Amino acid sequence: MSGREFFIERYEKLGWKYEHVEPRQAIRINSINTRKPADVVKRLQSLGIELGRVPFLENGYWICKSEFSVGATSEYLLGLYSIQEAAAQIPATLFTELKDKTVLDACAAPGGKTIQLADLMRNTGAIIGLDVKKQRLTALSNQLERCHVKNAIAYLLDARKASRLNTRFDCILLDLPCSGNFATDEDWFKRRTIKDVERNAMLQREILAETSKVLKDNGEIVYSTCSVEPEENELNIDWAVKNLNLQVEEVNCYGQKALTNVFGKHLDSSIEKGRRIWPGQTQGFFVCKLKRRECA
Amino acid sequence: MIKAIDDFVSRLDASVSLDQNLIVKKQNRFFLLDENLRKLISKDFFYAGIYLGKTKNRKFFPSFSLLGMIAQGKANKVIVHKKTAWLFICGRDIFKQGIIKVMGSERKGDYTLVLNIHGECLGFGRILCDLGIRRKGVAVKNISDIGDFLRREK
Repeated sequence: MSGREFFIERYEKLGWKYEHVEPRQAIRINSINTRKPADVVKRLQSLGIELGRVPFLENGYWICKSEFSVGATSEYLLGLYSIQEAAAQIPATLFTELKDKTVLDACAAPGGKTIQLADLMRNTGAIIGLDVKKQRLTALSNQLERCHVKNAIAYLLDARKASRLNTRFDCILLDLPCSGNFATDEDWFKRRTIKDVERNAMLQREILAETSKVLKDNGEIVYSTCSVEPEENELNIDWAVKNLNLQVEEVNCYGQKALTNVFGKHLDSSIEKGRRIWPGQTQGFFVCKLKRRECA
Repeated sequence: MIKAIDDFVSRLDASVSLDQNLIVKKQNRFFLLDENLRKLISKDFFYAGIYLGKTKNRKFFPSFSLLGMIAQGKANKVIVHKKTAWLFICGRDIFKQGIIKVMGSERKGDYTLVLNIHGECLGFGRILCDLGIRRKGVAVKNISDIGDFLRREK
């Protein structure tokens, strides 16, 4: 089962009417590399780049107008900012505390969120970043160097083998491989089938199950995907709540409450604490915070 | 300190304090850790801490992180105009008239860091002619600049 009509009909059943969207490019100021983020904004404006503040992000700006690539300025090369889609800037901000913590970034490359974590941690503690492809780790390494990240270690390792690290983590970021969404890929409807969605959902469960083993008792997992398919989001969280001794935590961020009724299937009511972002101002996105269930 | 790094730093008439116990080598690449990372790291890492640079054919190629660390202290430096800074990042050499200020050595053959008007290190080069002498033309030969981050992607 595939095709534009198939997926659009699914979205309508989930309560969202399809509309064509083109999310704006966004940047995030790396606050640790500048005295004042406003200084970076001024420098970019002096180059003729028009920026708009993203209202739900602390250091996020939309590129409203630019005559050239924002990935080719000296400010970018100096690590003063990163190019990072607005919704993708949300997950790293949801951890309760990051400074001095030991953090796992389970699917780290190409590194946008790893750099954001380092920024939020003020280069304290440690980030362990994993990825399964060497080429992607090279891209991650370049980003870490460009942005002057000092507190990260990267390994060529499948997140489904995270136990091999012999480390337990205070915070785990699971920005998982997913089916993506049509807002950032104009051929998405042609390329994707429900089989892809189901395959990715299984991979996500495997990663979630493995990484939950290396979470400290009071640790936090932030789960995110840029898919809007419930199999990769609410249904996986429902499965985790029922099978991995995890509970959903409240988050205060942009987005709608996550779904608790998916195609007639009733999910655990706590799932609504997650956030679903239908494409519009941003790409489609899902984010949810999990903790180990407290004993009664 | 690792000799290759030490030799490079001295060519800039500079010094940086690096704890040798916290420097790790992975194949031909050097990384500086902190105590926290040292406790966590295992030998099969891909990247760790601050990347310092690599050796190839017995020659040391510094990272931009290392250049930035050196730039924070006393070292050979030239501060260049905005347009010159941009051309340098694009891989071009530096003409005498593009230099605003020289700090440290003006001697032909020495290495010098190249900084923009904000004091940010853009890379380094070799002085081609004594900078104290009034002369037009190329003054600093580009050896490495941060535009390399883009060139690596290609």
